[in-house]
Amino acid sequence: MKKKTLFSSLVLVLSLTTVLAGCSNEDKNMITFWTPLTGDDGAYMDQLVKDYNATNPEVKVKHVITADMYTKVSTVLNSGKGVPDLAIIHADRVPGFVKQGVLEPMTDLIKAQPELKQDNYLPQAWSTGTVDGTQYTIPLDIHSNVMYYNKDLLKKYNAESFLDDNVVTIDEMLSLQGKLDEGDYIVNDALLGWVILAQIQNLGGDIQENGKPAVNTPVMKQALESVKKVADAGLMTPFGEDGYLMFQSGNVLFSTDGTWSSTAHAGVEGLNFGVTNVYSAAPDKFTNRSSSHLFTMLKNKDRTEAKVAGIGNFLEFIRTNSLEWAKAGQIVASKQVNESPEYKDYMQSFFTSNEKEIQSLYIYTYEYYPYIAEAVDTYCGDIVRGNVDIDETLQTMQKFVEDKIAEGSSGAK
Amino acid sequence: MSNQVQLDQPLQNRTGKRKGASDRSISKYISYLFLLSLCVVWVIPVIFGISTSFRSQTEVVSSGFRLFPEQWIFENYVAILNNTSTAPILRWLMNSLFIATTHTFLVVIVISITGYGYSRMNFKGRDTLFFTLLGISFFPGVVNLIPSYKIIDALGWVNTSWAMIIPGLAGMGNIFLVRQFMNGLPKELDESARVDGASDFRIYLSIIVPLIKPILIVCALFSFTGSWNDFLWPVIVYTDVDKMPVTAGLLLLQDIYGNYRMIGQLMGSAILAIIPTMLLFLFAQKYFVQSINLNSGIKG
Amino acid sequence: MKKKLNLAPVFFVGPHVILFAVFVLLPTIYGIYASFTKWNLMNEPVWVGLDNYKTILFNTESTFHTQFQNGLKNTFIFVGLSVPLLIVIPLMIAVALEHKKVKMKNVIQSILYIPGLISISAAALIWLLIFNKQLGITGNIFGSQIAWPTNQPYAWLIIIVITVWGGVGGNMIIYRASISGVAKELYESAELDGAGSIRRFASITLPSIRFPLIYTFVMTTAGAFNVFGQPLMMTDGGPRQSTHVLMMYIRQLAFGNGESIAGMASAMAVLLGLIILVISALQYYVMNRNAA
Repeated sequence: MKKKTLFSSLVLVLSLTTVLAGCSNEDKNMITFWTPLTGDDGAYMDQLVKDYNATNPEVKVKHVITADMYTKVSTVLNSGKGVPDLAIIHADRVPGFVKQGVLEPMTDLIKAQPELKQDNYLPQAWSTGTVDGTQYTIPLDIHSNVMYYNKDLLKKYNAESFLDDNVVTIDEMLSLQGKLDEGDYIVNDALLGWVILAQIQNLGGDIQENGKPAVNTPVMKQALESVKKVADAGLMTPFGEDGYLMFQSGNVLFSTDGTWSSTAHAGVEGLNFGVTNVYSAAPDKFTNRSSSHLFTMLKNKDRTEAKVAGIGNFLEFIRTNSLEWAKAGQIVASKQVNESPEYKDYMQSFFTSNEKEIQSLYIYTYEYYPYIAEAVDTYCGDIVRGNVDIDETLQTMQKFVEDKIAEGSSGAK
Repeated sequence: MSNQVQLDQPLQNRTGKRKGASDRSISKYISYLFLLSLCVVWVIPVIFGISTSFRSQTEVVSSGFRLFPEQWIFENYVAILNNTSTAPILRWLMNSLFIATTHTFLVVIVISITGYGYSRMNFKGRDTLFFTLLGISFFPGVVNLIPSYKIIDALGWVNTSWAMIIPGLAGMGNIFLVRQFMNGLPKELDESARVDGASDFRIYLSIIVPLIKPILIVCALFSFTGSWNDFLWPVIVYTDVDKMPVTAGLLLLQDIYGNYRMIGQLMGSAILAIIPTMLLFLFAQKYFVQSINLNSGIKG
Repeated sequence: MKKKLNLAPVFFVGPHVILFAVFVLLPTIYGIYASFTKWNLMNEPVWVGLDNYKTILFNTESTFHTQFQNGLKNTFIFVGLSVPLLIVIPLMIAVALEHKKVKMKNVIQSILYIPGLISISAAALIWLLIFNKQLGITGNIFGSQIAWPTNQPYAWLIIIVITVWGGVGGNMIIYRASISGVAKELYESAELDGAGSIRRFASITLPSIRFPLIYTFVMTTAGAFNVFGQPLMMTDGGPRQSTHVLMMYIRQLAFGNGESIAGMASAMAVLLGLIILVISALQYYVMNRNAA
């Protein structure tokens, strides 16, 4: 009996080996295209790739979905083998990658595809990929921090007027202090770090001064303190509780999460919601801190000219046909798509409905933005909840960013 | 306390037996109480997790705690299983089966042979070698990913199952366990066999392996589940989603369900991922507690 | 005859030594080398000598120094809280299961083992829902008004709960396999001698499984020093970074947002490795001596 099991397992192993060996076909005439788009997003992108390949292009595209793509990118760039022909990266990676010299300029590709130009895309999505006059990326979308509102609760608390000028101010929110039923809250703390970074723009500040990181600034303090007011007034969902789920369960008026959440919110029965701009500390300005998915070519000696031409074709196809991508909840960057009537059916079309809205989608392009975002994310919760001294923590945050910069490849030794 | 007092007294067979018996029934109740209360605490989250995979998002976020859903829905599983282009689950299961069986088979051979070497054989520097290797293996390998990838690349194993099967054989944990277990076996066993002229290989195969079978089964179980929490490595060595093992693949899915807070789907994919290992455990558990009779071990 | 004996160990130990050299030793050496460099994972590492170590250990101004200190302190807290529970509870389970009259052993064993198979992200979500005030048990049934992940000592409590829940299975089956190897006659004769269950445990069970016990102690401790999944998922290091363990800092440095700071991360990892090494050597030495 023992021998039998052993034997049958060996047979199984051997037969599987042949099965697995049979399916390794590395096609030289394929554009390998890596994306970090898992789950449903990956499926929408898959569909786009499939549609493109159905047009019978000379070079077909092979979509490879990779979790932890940046780790994987580091690994292949370091070993110099297996670098993909095309990849999607996030906006905040661009300055660092360009500086490290791992991105191929899009110059030649753009020459061959005249429609791949700034005028055909949302301006900030395009310019994110421009470094010192050279274009390194072509945008797919903008995905942004936005604010969902619960229509029923707004009505219940007679707060529909907040939405009139498309900017919900902190003062407006504070006006509801003491008027809420127990267990109801005005706003949750989803993506709190992004909300803070938007306030910096609203208050006319920035995160850098002459290329140096500026975290410990009066504007940053003001941004944190104005959000802290909301928490102090007991209007923000309690620290450590799942504010996102509380919005879905109908106990929170506003949720400051992302464009991509709209499909998840729509899956909750009885949640009657809409979308607007993230609340503002200033009465007349609003900002939605954004990022962008960008097509780019990582440095790869083996990329043939035919492949580059193929990539150009593919990107032009995406520019004209990426309505599918709107299903993922993202703001499609191509104007041909986001100005089309079909696109209006999607909730996120609110953010491209006029010039002012488009401008509100703010992408930070400062080289060390990732470190600053990390510092803000790490510390803002404790600051806003009054767990730590704000001045002291701002000093720590400034040091945190400076120390990390000093350790980078370009940092002063 | 009472036991000690009792032991200090001169023993009479009859009282001793009676005391032992009542002691045993008390300890039985204590054992039961302990185990059952533990089981309740342990199983509730599991049931809650499973039942959540049958809940709609609407129900997940509705207030109040319910162990079971008000309305059982299957949409979460349908969504997971339908997404065949980015999450080919059946494919992943096949890959896992191949990787796990091959890996486990090789692990058992490597660790029993190596463990025998470190425990039953005498050679110069044996313990120094063993503890040096063990010590080295304690270094947390954070950036080791990069050199490991280069080695796998040099061997031509990128995007193949060997990248999942072979490197794990180098681990020290299971060898340490086997060695410890073998150290507990009386030395007389192999000495008498050696007097009879048996070679090391013969002693290993016909005396030691049968005796350590339970622990080898435990190790097999561990290595089968071993790559469970390590999903970075498969992501790095595979370029094709199609070739991933099921755990890594499903973790990839969970990543997205987690980000999008689709709780029912996330639970569903976690439940699907544990099914193969759970079946293996149910099958293996009667073997690793099978009691060994040392005397019959010598005869065989 | 003697020469033959000298060659045999090569066949038994050699193959694994080769595997070890290729897949563990080489990458580890590279990792240690990286700790003396400035490296962003993509470019070639730049040698900086002992700079990283000096910064981490002696530059009290530096963020990396504070991170290392805080991370190490929290890691020690985690080890101190989790390891005893991960040894004692499985041992008690194994002993209780060994009781002749206990029925449904396989069912009990399975229930206790299965949580360890659930991935950490799903497990964390289950427990966070259970500890959720509106949706969970603690709020609805026990009336707790506290947000557990952001208040101490509850933050540590939920981290330990999920760790023990998911972690007892492995050691439990090692103890089960070990105890089942203890000759039944030993227990029977002890019982005839009138030895109570506690006495039997102390004088028969414990000594018989001392080698596996050493193993579980050393490996559980080493594993606990490498913790990061549970605090990451349950509390994200909060409140006020009081559950932010060292491995979380190390991974953020190496694989966080922005340019990787892998040299510094490696140096922290090497220091952690040295600590694990010293502690496990100490454990092994003490336990082996006491056992002998």
